[in-house]
Amino acid sequence: MKPLLEVRALTIDVPKGEGWMRVVDGVDFSIGAGERVALVGESGSGKSMTARALMRLDDALRIGGAIRFAGEEVLGCTEAEMRALRGSGIGMVFQDPMASLDPFMRVGDQVAEVLRIRGVGRAEAHARAVAILAELGVRDAASRSGAYPHEFSGGMRQRVVLAMALVAGPKLLVADEPTTALDARIQQQVLDLIDDAAADRGLGVLLITHNLGIVAGFADRVLVMYSGRIVEEGPVEQIFAAPAHPYTRGLIAAVPRADMRVDRLPPIDGAPPSPARRPSGCAFHPRCPVRLPVCVMTAPQLRPSGGGSVACHLAAAEEAMA
Amino acid sequence: MFDSPAADPALPNRFAPVRAAAPLVRFFARRIGLSVLTLLGLVTLAFAMTKFIPGDEAQVAAGPDAGPDQVEAMRARLGLDAPAIVQYLRFIWRLLHGDLGTSIVTYQPVLRDLERVLPSTLELVAITMVLNLVIAIPVATIAAAQGGRGLDALTRIAAAIAAGLPVFWVALMLQFLLGTLARVLPISGQRGFGVTVPNWTGMRTLDALLSGNPSAFLDASLYLVLPAATLALHFSSQLFRALRASLELAAASDFIAPVKAKGASTARILWRHALPNALPPVITLAGTQIADMLGAAVLVEAVFARQGVGAYLANAVAQKDTFAVIGTVLFVGAMVCVVNLLVDAILLATDPRLRAAELARGGRQ
Amino acid sequence: MMARPHLSLGDATVFVLVALILAAAVFGNLLAPEATFSSDIGNAFLPPDAQHWLGTDSQGRDVLWRVIAGAAPSLLSSMLVVTIYSLIGVVVATLATVVPRWLDEGLMRGTEIGLALPGVIVAMGFASAMGPSLASAVIAMSITGWPITARLLRSITRQTMVAPYVQGAQVMGVSRFRLMTRHVLPNSLDVLIIKWSGDVSITILVLGGLSFVGVGAQPPSAEWGAMISDARSYVSTAWWTAAAPGAAIALTAVSFSLLGDILQRRLGGAGASGGARS
Ligand SMILES: Nc1ncnc2c1ncn2[C@@H]1O[C@H](COP(=O)(O)OP(=O)(O)OP(=O)(O)O)[C@@H](O)[C@H]1O
Ligand code: SF4
Ligand SMILES: [Mg+2]
Repeated sequence: MKPLLEVRALTIDVPKGEGWMRVVDGVDFSIGAGERVALVGESGSGKSMTARALMRLDDALRIGGAIRFAGEEVLGCTEAEMRALRGSGIGMVFQDPMASLDPFMRVGDQVAEVLRIRGVGRAEAHARAVAILAELGVRDAASRSGAYPHEFSGGMRQRVVLAMALVAGPKLLVADEPTTALDARIQQQVLDLIDDAAADRGLGVLLITHNLGIVAGFADRVLVMYSGRIVEEGPVEQIFAAPAHPYTRGLIAAVPRADMRVDRLPPIDGAPPSPARRPSGCAFHPRCPVRLPVCVMTAPQLRPSGGGSVACHLAAAEEAMA
Repeated sequence: MFDSPAADPALPNRFAPVRAAAPLVRFFARRIGLSVLTLLGLVTLAFAMTKFIPGDEAQVAAGPDAGPDQVEAMRARLGLDAPAIVQYLRFIWRLLHGDLGTSIVTYQPVLRDLERVLPSTLELVAITMVLNLVIAIPVATIAAAQGGRGLDALTRIAAAIAAGLPVFWVALMLQFLLGTLARVLPISGQRGFGVTVPNWTGMRTLDALLSGNPSAFLDASLYLVLPAATLALHFSSQLFRALRASLELAAASDFIAPVKAKGASTARILWRHALPNALPPVITLAGTQIADMLGAAVLVEAVFARQGVGAYLANAVAQKDTFAVIGTVLFVGAMVCVVNLLVDAILLATDPRLRAAELARGGRQ
Repeated sequence: MMARPHLSLGDATVFVLVALILAAAVFGNLLAPEATFSSDIGNAFLPPDAQHWLGTDSQGRDVLWRVIAGAAPSLLSSMLVVTIYSLIGVVVATLATVVPRWLDEGLMRGTEIGLALPGVIVAMGFASAMGPSLASAVIAMSITGWPITARLLRSITRQTMVAPYVQGAQVMGVSRFRLMTRHVLPNSLDVLIIKWSGDVSITILVLGGLSFVGVGAQPPSAEWGAMISDARSYVSTAWWTAAAPGAAIALTAVSFSLLGDILQRRLGGAGASGGARS
């Protein structure tokens, strides 16, 4: 069976001065119906860019490659087809709930708007908006739906954003760091909410995060992104038990774990490169503790390894020796 | 998750309007307080103006034709022999009794004169403001949809040029081109020969409507076309520029991508989301524009010979009727204070965040 | 390391226009022939032709030369007005920043009051009371124009005074006044210049209007508003006498307004945000 979403050789360029700057550089992945995929990586690696490209949210970007959703080529869609896809094919939750709601519109109207756009009558759209807000744990949803965003706490706002993403019945939910901006206490609540809602509806989920700690209990598969490329991909157990890429190991080492009393492994030194100054060869080589001479010269290709794949010269060599 | 939602919503809601009212009262009390301070500042400036008069203030107040007796009578009336502070207090005292001075041209109290000419100016400013909003808001929003191309680029240039045209010159040129050359519109005055309407509101269009006289309404409207168009050209291009910039900011806000992700069209994004967010600074500007419209009315009414506050002021200036000028300045300043209050109320009614901030502020005090 | 946006044709046009107008304002009076300022009734109201490109006015004076000579009283006095009130605005904002909080409150309340008043009308009152003349108009507009600048600058200083480097310097014992004059004001200079340019555009319109109603420059001055005022009675027979000075005001106002836009585009981003990003 064809996967729900299939992304091939995705490239994204942002306008820079007279030319373009490549921020996502040949990304491949797919998500099956009902599958949970986590996309992890440090800040600036191109996670949000990738997610927004799925819905073509930014007009100014140049997007190359292929994005097939439910059998249709997204990059070939007309603007009208895109509008139909956004909201009812793919729903999206954004990073900052404080900033992702229109401050001048009542929250109920903002949720109902997704349906109104699709021709649903005012009363029915409103009733369904209230129902989904209630389902997502907004108390007194009927009266609270008349309130404005600033009257809601961060956690409550994220529920409203989630309601907006889900109300038109999409098949894929893209959640771009849905809990990063929230209190630690609220984070798990919201994550559980996404978990339940997705399970009830059998949704495919792309969860973007730079916090590996929340990935283990949520995702089936993990994509690790570094400087605009996927460097490792595999089932969640394998990624945690036997990470093959030095960068993935670094990320996992940096996760605080309650069951680990011994000294944690040191987190990765240095900062991720800017897309404008991507290092030669393996983009990770300046920070890699196990770098080989070849890493400076040639970029490693993503090749199958175990149940997933990895793009690393050292991992390839180890595999060949084993 | 185990609370019973049935019981609690009713209680707070039933008392909510009462509790919400107190901060609003405080809000307006504060605003009115500021208006009173502003009026005091205005009065002080007006008093300062009388002290800027070179030569004999009493002579100026009494008029150039006044004999020595009349000048001395005026000196006594204005109390010009008293110390400045006493004069200042008496100045305020007279104002509190509605005494804005006496015109040396009409020999009438300035306030009486102004009451007579005020409706005509209110009519002109009201029509101008309606045109202003009706032109600027749709054009800016439609232009914004084109994102820098086509109509957007064109209207930007057109507005930049229109905002730089001197109002009094546009008035003169329109008068010449449409009135004198093309003879399509009346160019002077405010009513056709022999057209009469009852003087109920003093605004001829309104009086014609109220008295059910369509031809008089048309007549009055035609006389308004050129003055209102002149003012609207200037002010709507200014408002357009502000709204276009404000829309640009609003369209770049973080909440726009989520709206787009709902499947909203560009038009919906602009009209339903960007526009409401872009409006508050524009409403503020429209409020300050009223003060500028009253200033520009001086020029436009003078050119088109309309009997308004502006023409009265222009005439007073020309006749060196200095105390009538100062009285009019006070009058217009007071009007502007009232307008500022109205604008505050509109902002409060349209901006939920401002309302919340004011409620929170009221709560803390 | 940001590359300067290259000079587009539109920007170049605006720069050339502003330069030409400034040249007219500085040299116009020197270059204009004697006859520009004396009357020759025999040649009154000649329509535009090869000898008088923009015709002659009611006194038989060449309208084009009068428009060129009028650049000085029209533009230079507008620039003077904006410069004076910008300085007043800077002084008020600086005071508000360095004095104790209650005085700051008082100053800004005063500024708000100034903002709430109809500036043009108040200026008209002052100019009329002082006796109509270009100097009266300049003084009146200078004392009524400063509140917007003061408020703008105060809102900038309110932001910059809490910036880490300023706070750091304060901890080191640098006085607020010194910080203001050495760091904050120089950093606000581009904002002031952008505003100055846009304000000249508006001021030239208002000043022309004041002259037009008779509280500004008086005839026989070639100030553009006064020229239009003089031409008003003859519009139907000699339209060029009013059209030319009005077009000069429009051209100047639009040029300076566009200059402001260009400066905003070129200086705005970098200066105002202090290069905090990247
Ligand atoms: N509008 C833009 N114009 C130019 N460059 C951009 C733009 N938006 C993002 N970038 C750059 O693209 C790269 C990828 O950004 P992206 O937002 O996808 O990263 P991310 O992985 O989501 O990071 P974060 O964890 O901070 O959200 C970054 O280097 C960023 O600087
Ligand atoms: S390719 Fe080389 S530099 Fe890159 S991660 Fe593997 S070992 Fe390190
Ligand atoms: Mg991101």
